Amino acid sequence: MVLEQERVAAMSPLARAAGVRAGMRRGGALMLAPDAQVHEREPQREAEALNAVALAMLQFTPQVAEAEEATLLLDVGASLRLFGGIRALCWQIQVSLRTLGFSGVISCAPTARGAWLLARGGAARAAAAGARQHAAQVVRSAHSHRAEQADRSAHSDRAARPGDIARRSDAEPPAYAVRVLSLASLEYSLAGLPCGLLQPLRPYLDWLEGIGCQTLGELRRLPRPGLQRRCGRAVLDMLDAAHGLLPELFEWLEAPPTFRAKLELFDRVEHADALLHGAQRLILQMTGWLCARQFAVERIHLLLEHERGREARPPTAIEIILAEPTWRDEHLLRLLKERLAKLTLEAPVIGLTLEALQVHPMLPPSESLFPDPGGSKEDRQRLMELLVARLGAENVLQAAPLADYRPEHANRWVSVQEKVRPSDARAQLPPDMPSLPRPSWLLAKPIALLMRDHRPFYGSPLKLMSTAERIEAGWWGEAETRDYFIAQGEDHTHYWIYRERPRNGDGEAEQRWYLHGLFG
Amino acid sequence: MIKSQLADAPEAVHPALWRASQLAHTSTDCLDTGYPVLSAQLPGGGWPQGMMVELLLPQHGVGEFRLLRPTLAGIAQGSIVLVQPPHAPQALALAAQGIAPSQLVWIRGTGRDGRQSSDALWAAEQILRSGCCGALLLWQNHVRGETLRRLHLAAQSGNTLFFMIRPLAAAQDASPAPLRLSVMPAPGGIEIGFVKRKGPQRDAPLFLPLTPSLLQRHAPLDRTPSASAPARSVLPSLVG
Repeated sequence: MVLEQERVAAMSPLARAAGVRAGMRRGGALMLAPDAQVHEREPQREAEALNAVALAMLQFTPQVAEAEEATLLLDVGASLRLFGGIRALCWQIQVSLRTLGFSGVISCAPTARGAWLLARGGAARAAAAGARQHAAQVVRSAHSHRAEQADRSAHSDRAARPGDIARRSDAEPPAYAVRVLSLASLEYSLAGLPCGLLQPLRPYLDWLEGIGCQTLGELRRLPRPGLQRRCGRAVLDMLDAAHGLLPELFEWLEAPPTFRAKLELFDRVEHADALLHGAQRLILQMTGWLCARQFAVERIHLLLEHERGREARPPTAIEIILAEPTWRDEHLLRLLKERLAKLTLEAPVIGLTLEALQVHPMLPPSESLFPDPGGSKEDRQRLMELLVARLGAENVLQAAPLADYRPEHANRWVSVQEKVRPSDARAQLPPDMPSLPRPSWLLAKPIALLMRDHRPFYGSPLKLMSTAERIEAGWWGEAETRDYFIAQGEDHTHYWIYRERPRNGDGEAEQRWYLHGLFG
Repeated sequence: MIKSQLADAPEAVHPALWRASQLAHTSTDCLDTGYPVLSAQLPGGGWPQGMMVELLLPQHGVGEFRLLRPTLAGIAQGSIVLVQPPHAPQALALAAQGIAPSQLVWIRGTGRDGRQSSDALWAAEQILRSGCCGALLLWQNHVRGETLRRLHLAAQSGNTLFFMIRPLAAAQDASPAPLRLSVMPAPGGIEIGFVKRKGPQRDAPLFLPLTPSLLQRHAPLDRTPSASAPARSVLPSLVG
C-alpha cells in the first residue's frame, strides 16, 4: 500500500482483494490487511522514475515532453518508418518499458491532448478493473504534426505507474491501450470518455452530473459560451486541442550533457549475475540518452554500491572500454554479462550507478554494396572484446615477435587489446626466416632429458638430424649458451632439443640435454 | 527411368547422393590443401569450409602445422585463432611457414580448473558464430558427443575453416564431423589415415612428404652425437 497524507493512494492486487480501497485511512486499511507493507508516497522518487523512463524513450524519438499527471508525450510522427510502423513501435516501447520495470498504458492519437485523454481514460479503466493498484501514473503520448499528414500522424501515450517503483513488471493488459490513427475515430473514442479526466472540470463534476452530462461527447454538445462562463476558458481549450482545433505547444525534454544514472536495488544482491537485470535498465536509459545526443559511447563505468556493514566499503567498479564506440545496447549487455559472471562480490550490493565516461559523435557504419564474406573489422573487434570480457585480457593474445636470439624471448605474445602494427611485427622478424629451423610448439619450460647409452632419450632414443645451431646471448640478463639440434625419435617425430654448454670454462662438466620444442 | 539414372549417375538425382565407390560432391566451398595427392582423396578436393574437420594425433607435434601450412598461408585475411593449444605456439616458426604473425590469435587456457574446457568451447562457438575469422583450430582431449554436434552446427552457420584436434584414441568414438583424418609421423613425412570421409573406405594410409620444409638446409643424415669419450668407454652398439 502506498499512503499519501494518511490516505491510501495505491495498493497491490492482494490488498485490493482484502478490501482496501483508495482513499481509506491508514487504520482502516491496516485492519483489513494487517500484513501489508505500508510506504509513504515519495513524489521525488516518482519524478526520478518518470525522468528515467523519459530518458529511455529518447531512443524512439527526440521529442519527448512531460505532461500533467505523470504522463509522457512522444511525438512519433517522424519515427514510424524507422521502427516499422505504429504497431511495432508501440510494441518496442512496451518492451523497453517493461525492461525498465514499469508498466504503462500506451495510446496513440493524432493530437497530443487526445492521446493524453485516451491514456488517462485507459489508466482509469485499468484501475477500476483492479488490474493495477499502484501509485501514480506515467502517461506518455506521442504526437505528430497534423499539418501535412493528418492520417498518418499518430500519438501514442501511455500511463505507467511508479508507485513503489521497482515492483512493476506485470504486463499491461492490451485492452486499455487505445490506438487511434484518424481524427474521425479519435472524436468517436473521445466522446465516450468521462468528464472527470479534464482537470479544470473537476470542481464542477457534481453540477455536470446534475444536468446529465457525463462524457466528453455530451460535454461538447453543451453551448460553448455558457460552458466558458461557468467553467472557464481552460476546459474549452483542452477540448479543442484534443480535437485538433487548437495548436498545442510543448516543452521538449532536453537530454543532460553528461550521463550518470543511479538505481537503488530493492534487495541486497549477493550474486553478481543477478545484477544484470538492474544494469540492463541503466543501459536502456543510456541508450536513450546516446540517441538523443547523437553520441556513441567508448568507455562506461558501472559502480556497484555495497551495503554499509561494519566498515564502509568503496563501491566496486566495472569498467568497460570499447575498441569501437557503440550506441546499441546488445553488445554492451553481452560484455557486461560476461564481466558480471566473472565477478565475485565481497559484500551484498544495494545500488548501481552507470556513467558514460567517454563519448564520441555517432558515426553510422558505412555499408558496402558487396559486403566482405569475412565480416567487417567492427565485427572482429566486437568478437575480441567479447572473448576478452570472459577469458581475461591476459588469455587472448596476439603475436608480437621480438628480435632476440633467445627463442623464449623472441616468441612474445601480447594481449589483443594492445595495438601492434603489422609492419612493426614484421620488422622484428629475422630476414632469413625460412632457413631457421624453429619448432611451432615451444615448451613453456624445457624438459630435462634422460640419457641412455649416451643418447638423449624421450620416449625412444633420439637421433640428431641436423647440425648444431649455436645460440649464445643474453649476458645482460638470462644468459643462454646452447646448441640446438633437430632430433628424431624412433616413431619419426621431430623434436627440438638443445645441449647446455658449460659456461666460463667449467671444463668437461656433464652434458645436459633438454627438450624445448615440438615440430607441429 | 529414374532407376537407370540412379544407377548411372546418382549425383544427378540429388547432390547429396553418391556411390560407395566414389567421392561425394560437397555443396560447401573447399580450400585446396596444397598437396595434390591429399586433395584428390578428399570430397570436394580440399578442406571443407564451414564444417568440422577432425584431426586425430597420437601426440602433439607430429607435423599437424606443416600439414595445414599451405591452406593457412593461403588465408589472406581474417585471423587464424588457436584455442587452447597444448603448448605456446611460436610465431617465428609459423611466420617461416608463411603465416603472418598479425593474423594469429592465441586463446590461452585460463587456468581455472573445471572451466578450462567450457571456456574453450564457448570461445570456439562464439568465433564460429561470428564468422569473422579465417580459420579456427581447437585442441580438446575429452569432448562429449552433444558438444561436438553443437560445434558442428555452429561451424555450419559460417564459412570458417574449422579444425578440431583430438587424440588418436578418440577415433573409436562417434563424431558428427564429416571428415576425420588421423595423422601419424612417418619417415620423411606423415601418414594420413582416413577414419571417416564421404567416399569409399580407404584402409591404407596416405603418405605425404613434409620434411623438406623442415630440414631444408641439410639432407637427412644418420649421425650419432660425437661424444668425446675416453677409449673403451663407448659401447660397441654406438660405434657401429
